[in-house]
Amino acid sequence: MATLWSKISAVLPHNEEQFPLQFSGKVESSVVEMLKRCRQQLYSDTTRTGRMLNAQIILDFSWEKLNTGTWRHVDKEWRRVYSYGCLFKVAALCREDPSEDEVLQAVKICDMGLLMGAAIMDDILQVIVRILQSEVRKSAKGEEESEHAEVKRIKIECPHAPVIKEELAVPRIKCPSLESFNTDYLLPLKPVILEGIIDHWPALNQHPWSIEYLRSVAGCRTVPVEVGSRYTDEEWSQTLLTVNEFIDRYILNKDGVKASGYLAQHQLFDQIPELKEDIRLPDYCCLGEGDEDDITVNAWFGPGGTVSPLHQDPQLNFLAQVVGSKYIRLYSPEDTDKLYPHQSQLLHNTSQVEVENPDSERFPEFAKAPYLECVLQPGEVLFIPVRHWHYVRSLELSFSVSFWWS
Amino acid sequence: MRWFGFGFNAFGQIYLNEKLIKGECSDAAKEVKVISPTELVAIHADRDECCLKAVCQIRASWSGRASLHLDGDSCVCLAGFLAANNESCGISVKDTRGCKDASISESYLTLAFPDRIESWHVQKEEKTPSWSMEIKTASPGPSLDLPLVPGGYIATKPPFYRSLSPHLKAKSLALSAEHAILLSESGVVYTWGLGSHGQLGHGGLSSEEEPRAVEALWGMPMSCVATGGWHSVCISDGGDLYVWGWNESGQLGLPSRGLRKAPQQQRSPQAGARCQDPCTSLAEEPQDGEKHEEVFISIQAFPALLDITPSCEIKTVSCGSRHTAAVTTTGDLYTWGWGNYGQLGHRSLSSSDEPQRVEFFREQQLSVVDVVCGAWNTFVAVVKEELA
Repeated sequence: MATLWSKISAVLPHNEEQFPLQFSGKVESSVVEMLKRCRQQLYSDTTRTGRMLNAQIILDFSWEKLNTGTWRHVDKEWRRVYSYGCLFKVAALCREDPSEDEVLQAVKICDMGLLMGAAIMDDILQVIVRILQSEVRKSAKGEEESEHAEVKRIKIECPHAPVIKEELAVPRIKCPSLESFNTDYLLPLKPVILEGIIDHWPALNQHPWSIEYLRSVAGCRTVPVEVGSRYTDEEWSQTLLTVNEFIDRYILNKDGVKASGYLAQHQLFDQIPELKEDIRLPDYCCLGEGDEDDITVNAWFGPGGTVSPLHQDPQLNFLAQVVGSKYIRLYSPEDTDKLYPHQSQLLHNTSQVEVENPDSERFPEFAKAPYLECVLQPGEVLFIPVRHWHYVRSLELSFSVSFWWS
Repeated sequence: MRWFGFGFNAFGQIYLNEKLIKGECSDAAKEVKVISPTELVAIHADRDECCLKAVCQIRASWSGRASLHLDGDSCVCLAGFLAANNESCGISVKDTRGCKDASISESYLTLAFPDRIESWHVQKEEKTPSWSMEIKTASPGPSLDLPLVPGGYIATKPPFYRSLSPHLKAKSLALSAEHAILLSESGVVYTWGLGSHGQLGHGGLSSEEEPRAVEALWGMPMSCVATGGWHSVCISDGGDLYVWGWNESGQLGLPSRGLRKAPQQQRSPQAGARCQDPCTSLAEEPQDGEKHEEVFISIQAFPALLDITPSCEIKTVSCGSRHTAAVTTTGDLYTWGWGNYGQLGHRSLSSSDEPQRVEFFREQQLSVVDVVCGAWNTFVAVVKEELA
């Protein structure tokens, strides 16, 4: 029976000579020297303390680089160095019969490398996290029975859905042809709900997404979570939690925490390929200009009550609803003058108005802006044309997938 | 004057242990993280006379240290990664003879001679400097310390020479990777560079391309300025310390949420015995139900007065990447901020968001007269207490 370490070392290069450490001149020789020491320790007999120490030096140094300047401008080489640091640290942790906790820690470190680093050695962190996850699953036993009751409870508690006025309803169409979608909605930039186009998704069939399913596939994985009612609030912040922690704290409310938590706008499917296999790219995306690779797929997972304030995006959006329902309101970019966008550069794509509780004194024109609204149900996909303002509130536990394309 | 060092020593920049460099050391932790102040010894006592002379100044980078011997035939000796690549002590000690100041970064050693400035790329082992400029001997005004040079300053990476407006009347300049702080002859503080963590002190997070006066300090002449990775510090004429910038490791000496969140991680003196999660730039999760009304400061965008110790005046200050060290007029050293590599000198690996005195020097009856920080370590100049 293969030990964890034998499985991990099987995916690592056989020896020091075959272990690549190539960097541009941006990475100083002293750092490369430290990386070489880590590599040497990987293939020699030395103490765990020594290995952890040097791996941590790499992580600490590259962390400083990752936090210098704006994220966009961080040189990819430093993100690669960070990933190497994660790799060496995981190797040190898993070498000598790690405990359950240590394996979970190693998963967390892989995730940090996947989230903050850049792919190295054919995305080796992705390969290793998969090995680690199967190790974690071995020890995890069914704690799911008690959960059914919890989930049933929160389902019953969902608030009444808003009544949609017929004349304001977003139009609906079932399985339109590519041509008719293009002619009737894409080119004229008209929002529409597409029904029946994701019925074939495994997420709605063979692997219906549920809290239990997400725990089993990704429970120990670390993800970014937004904490606070909305991103325009002062109290809003981001933190990192495992999926289990997120579900316990913000969906099942086990700690009695009052703040709202939302796993929002995260490319979860790049991080957790098993979930990617449960969804499909909408065929209609082929009507766009860009490559398939240019399409950004985001996950949006949270309890009832999460709000995305009224805002606009520079790309076309297919918002697919998988679990639960969301109330969505849409305003045309032609009416931007009545929507009072923020002046700051950071928030100029976001309206200052609280859509379901507008301050008519500060924003008198808002009431005059025409809109369309809907309650998006599981199995439905909302097409949001480019720069169309949209406001979203989840009515119950909800999981949506968005596709941003051009 | 004797020098002590503590903190990061993975390249032997505090003291050399040959086995460590070759990766043979079994007790690597103690060698890499020097938690107790350790006296600096002559780097190559057997090889070069200059190393036996007293060290007058120290400059430190992440992986290296430069000792400036400025009495008589001055020269510069290198320790740490910079020295490992060269057989003799330094680039070539002969090349450094006569220099009156030096500064080092990860890649470059800059030497200031009476008639010229030179920057050498330390890893390329070239026979000539990567860059140099001449100094006209009749330059008016007081003599300048690096990185200031007549008409401007020398940056840590190319282009080396950057000009400064003569209106600024620069007296001293501190540079970090992405921001700069300048002190004028009249005691006015100017900052520029990246401001994403409040390190410019103008009250916001935006960057400045040109030197901009820190208005909050207007009317209070300053005498000393220093920069850390993401924070800035200055001392007023009256010996008060002002801090601003990022406080994620308590480097401002103000309450830091990140340090209070995990108290069990702070007290362990064992290196590597517990694994520290790499921090991220994301904020810590707000704790609901916390009984005490503590205000944590993550970013201080305006200068704040830091009360280190009730009665003392601060004489000089230096900053590492994420820690700060200050010397009082009465000869004590206080440190605070990130301490994971022992750089605070309190014989532990804890970080601290409260200034604490380094007791070692009092115990040894040594009076601290100067402090210079490398990225993750601290170098301290002392004299015997009676002489102070």
